[in-house]
Amino acid sequence: MKEFFSNKRKVRGFKEFLYILPFLILVLVFSYYPLYGWVYAFFDYKPPFPLSWEKFVGLKWFRSMVENEVKLKQLLMVLRNTFAMSGISLFFSWFPMIFAVFLNEIKCKPFQKVVQTVTTLPNFISWVLVYSIAYSIFNSTGVVNTIGMALGLFDTPQMFLQSADHIWFKMWLWLTWKNAGWSAIMYLAAISGIDESLIEAAKVDGASRMQIIWHITIPSILPTYFVLVMLNLANFLSNGMEQYFVFQNAFNKDSIQVLDLYVYNLAMGSGGYSLSTAISILKSVVSIILLCVTNKISKLVRGEGFI
Amino acid sequence: MKSKKLISLLCVAAMTATMLTGCGGASDSASGTASTSGSSSSATNTGNSGDSSAASDKEAMTFEIFDVAANYQGIQTGWFAKVVKDRFNIELNIIAPQVAGDAIYQTRASSGNLGDILILESGQFKECVEAGLVKDISSDIWNYSNLAGYKDQIDMLNNSLEGNDGKTYGIPTEMMNTSPTSYSQDVIYSSPLLRWDLYKELGCPDIADLDGLLDVLDQMMKNHPTNDAGDACYPLSLWSDWDGGDGMLGIANVVQLTTWYGEKIKGSTILKPDGTFIPLTDKDGSYYKMLKFLYNANQRGLVDPDSATQDWNSACAKMSAGQVYLMWYSWQVGFWNSTDRLKDGTAFIFTPVADQTYYTDADSYYGSGRVFAVGSQVDDAKYQRIMEFLDWYASPEGLMFQHDGIEGFNYEKGSDGRLVQINSNALMDNLPVPEEWGGAGYNDGNNAINQWIVSANSVNPTTGETYSVNYWSTYKEETMTDMKKEWAEKFGAAEPVDYMKANNKLVISPNVSVSLPTDSADISVIRNQCNETVCDYSWRMIYASDDAAFDALWDEMSNCLDGFGFQDLVKFDKEKHQIELDAKNAVAK
Repeated sequence: MKEFFSNKRKVRGFKEFLYILPFLILVLVFSYYPLYGWVYAFFDYKPPFPLSWEKFVGLKWFRSMVENEVKLKQLLMVLRNTFAMSGISLFFSWFPMIFAVFLNEIKCKPFQKVVQTVTTLPNFISWVLVYSIAYSIFNSTGVVNTIGMALGLFDTPQMFLQSADHIWFKMWLWLTWKNAGWSAIMYLAAISGIDESLIEAAKVDGASRMQIIWHITIPSILPTYFVLVMLNLANFLSNGMEQYFVFQNAFNKDSIQVLDLYVYNLAMGSGGYSLSTAISILKSVVSIILLCVTNKISKLVRGEGFI
Repeated sequence: MKSKKLISLLCVAAMTATMLTGCGGASDSASGTASTSGSSSSATNTGNSGDSSAASDKEAMTFEIFDVAANYQGIQTGWFAKVVKDRFNIELNIIAPQVAGDAIYQTRASSGNLGDILILESGQFKECVEAGLVKDISSDIWNYSNLAGYKDQIDMLNNSLEGNDGKTYGIPTEMMNTSPTSYSQDVIYSSPLLRWDLYKELGCPDIADLDGLLDVLDQMMKNHPTNDAGDACYPLSLWSDWDGGDGMLGIANVVQLTTWYGEKIKGSTILKPDGTFIPLTDKDGSYYKMLKFLYNANQRGLVDPDSATQDWNSACAKMSAGQVYLMWYSWQVGFWNSTDRLKDGTAFIFTPVADQTYYTDADSYYGSGRVFAVGSQVDDAKYQRIMEFLDWYASPEGLMFQHDGIEGFNYEKGSDGRLVQINSNALMDNLPVPEEWGGAGYNDGNNAINQWIVSANSVNPTTGETYSVNYWSTYKEETMTDMKKEWAEKFGAAEPVDYMKANNKLVISPNVSVSLPTDSADISVIRNQCNETVCDYSWRMIYASDDAAFDALWDEMSNCLDGFGFQDLVKFDKEKHQIELDAKNAVAK
């Protein structure tokens, strides 16, 4: 003990360890302790009885997910929707970046600020309200149907919210409307960090505006873009449920039900807690695999990983 | 520099500590306040039970009420809070799963303390007794005269608990003092209700069957495509957010209509009038029949196109605006019928369809299914105060407050001694209550417990009339309008139920109090998945393009259901509801 305190390096190391200890505890409490809840997947759990009264069933709930064709089909459908919608988001993930670049090019500052504020605001509207807006616009007497019928585009009210056509793309549009401005903030910060002298030098060399964007702005913010994409990949399976929850109905559910929503519909309807937990565990496992794979790819492509 | 480091370190540590304690502290602090207020009152409480006017010498207390019926969460406010405070010096803190989400039942149950007073669904009640969350009240309950008046019914409920040897745990809700086989209301819960003026305009045609009903609705829509404000009208406007409620499988709008053919959906099965159960997916059953009815209505353009995407609030707004021509819940007419409309004859009223017989549950003599109970963690002093409160809650005085409101504000005694309703729009328009009775809006201060031990249709022994205003002789005289007279003349009966009884069109299912097996973890998953499947397919069938598509979807649904284990569910539900049916048959004999 005495030796430990006389060794200055060890004391310093210990002190520094103390600095991060609170955060380690936070991580343990909020990220690792909840994993204890996984135990519910291995019991026939049913409230209000304590877990100690319940029967241990091993992997029954995992097996039940795939035990017959109908259930397997449903699970695959849910996975397909999850991958499709995350895939679309990923495919269009350059959109906020380009938006930020163009926003930055607006020379009239007041106008730029207005655009930025207007596009950022929807981020703070909850999905429930977004749906009421959507319902008011698209219901049978809503503005779209009224104008459409007045112009003679169609003679009976169209049921836009009820149709499953292009639902993935529509969901992406809603998501983008809500998030684009907010996501652009990160890129705007990155753009403001670009060395002015580079741009001035390019101007002296006679570069046009598009050339400056193409050769200076975009390459400078690409690293930010890649980091954000990688982080999103790890969340590939967690595309949230609020949006799909409010937009779901009997007609589009086959195309809109994503993993998180599926878990919610199962557990909250009448308490299929064990099965929902089992599905969540699978989700976590798949997410970890995805994270490792993207890390590997990143190592191959960029020469460095991010974890 | 060093002290700064130390301080910042301390700050971080303190922050972490508060965050950690914040996690587990919620339930502790709640039970902590409960126990301290309880123990302090035990010193002052001298056992003057029954004397409700001596509230001020009692220690102030707050009752936590876990209440599945409440639509409001928080402390009771307004006039009802004052009524309770003046008599018992207590405040009511209502915990409402309907507001906070059903998960609150699970979390509170696992903490071992649901609340001081519990209002539970019958299945939950049974589980909570097993899990030790409910207090045994056998030794005291019969000392309270108002509750003891319902001994028969209370015993029936408690004896039905499996393995119960004469102990009393719960008090049924909405009990009545009539009989388990009688039906004392004028209308039943679900029947076809049409606008009298529109029906009369068509010359009051006799309606033979569901197609005839659609013909009538079609005519009404042709004659009146919009309401007075010029908004489009559709005879039927449906909503999807109640689907799968009340333990029933399928969409709420269809499930309710199945009672028009004397059948009743019990979980995944349909109870036929002859006492047999068939699966919900049977094409001879009324679920198929009524779903087809809605499909036919949609084929003829009689269904509001927004039906599948709107919620109850949007549908309700259309009812209040007169954009709907068919209603089916007895309470639904409340969104249109007013005293004025009854007088002009533009109100909704039951219109018989010749081939229908209607199913109704009898008077809730043994209770409506929910249960009042006392939490197991309540200490003796608080327990006594709770029992006093519950006794008052079942007393004529308490019931007048619950069902009729405040004397002098909601009703008064006429010169002939009969009660007369005043300020009849108090609830609808949230009229301001005078300060002497507690102030605030009437509706805001209305009893937020929203569940009664005794039904409004029971007779008040002190007045000789029901608690419900609708059956007061003064109210009946006021609502005996021309429309009602014309209706009575056409159908040869004073009230809808009289007509049904006279024409042998009413199946009354006796009221029983049995405790039924609750779902195991497997069954609850199957039930949930089947319910979602039935609901989704049902909506698609209503909007199906033609008969072939309708039947193809029905078959697809049946296949899909079998994959989720529907047959096991049907077997379970048949056995479960057979217990109830046996009890009903025993009562009917």
